[in-house]
Amino acid sequence: MTNPVDYADGDDASAFARMLGGLIEANVVARPEKLTDFHNLKARVGIFVTDIDEAVTLEFQGGHLLVRNGLQEGRDVTIRADADTVMQLSNVKIGFAGMPNYLDSTGREVAGKMLSGRLRIEGLLGNLTTLNRVTRLFSVAT
Amino acid sequence: MTVAAFSPEWAQAFKEEINKSPVYQQAAKGWKWTVGLVVEAEPDRKFPEARGVVMDLFEGQARDIRVGSAADAQACDFVISGPYSRWKQVALKELDATRGMLQGKLKLKGDLPTVVRYTKASQELTECTTRVPVTWPDEA
Repeated sequence: MTNPVDYADGDDASAFARMLGGLIEANVVARPEKLTDFHNLKARVGIFVTDIDEAVTLEFQGGHLLVRNGLQEGRDVTIRADADTVMQLSNVKIGFAGMPNYLDSTGREVAGKMLSGRLRIEGLLGNLTTLNRVTRLFSVAT
Repeated sequence: MTVAAFSPEWAQAFKEEINKSPVYQQAAKGWKWTVGLVVEAEPDRKFPEARGVVMDLFEGQARDIRVGSAADAQACDFVISGPYSRWKQVALKELDATRGMLQGKLKLKGDLPTVVRYTKASQELTECTTRVPVTWPDEA
């Protein structure tokens, strides 16, 4: 397999870009069950961390991910949350039928933040499958 | 009683704080790796030589914490590096370690999914450092 993740900004890729790209790469390499999602996902996903003003755009290209600094045009889904919530999203467990589990304590906290507006997801309507795939790729929960 | 920052006495006090924390014990269940903190030198802040903090953490307990060289810390399974003033900010609660890593103010080496899985534990470790009264070389 060629490098599954590349950085559009090369050496200037931000620490946040490298962290998210590294997280997905490690997940895809170490956990074969995530490969199907990685190969099937074609979408542009933006993540904006509200309390540190850092953003990336993840361009999933069906088996390859290009990570760009900042929020780029043409995003299908944009997630806006503080740093703690972004980390928490990665700890959402994947449950029955590959659906994110919003019923355990971490899942309930994430759902609560969505309801309170601390976690905002733009483009959710029509992109639920994309969001679920991204959540599965991000999830480090075992 | 205050202890000098990043001294053997500080390491002992830090270890005691960790082992007193039920939050850490719960959040770090399953953790079985060593963590090295590299405190980079800042001679203009009276911290002339880099130091390493080597933390042997296992299943919610700190088995050993000692101060050594930067190379000792770099040999650990997970390594977090930053200049002296950044670590001081962390200990004074002016900088959250997770945010610091996301912003590149602190550099992390190690398996990212494992670190993310134990975010709560790492936040509690930071809390434990803030509970150790410290004298800072640039304030002495």
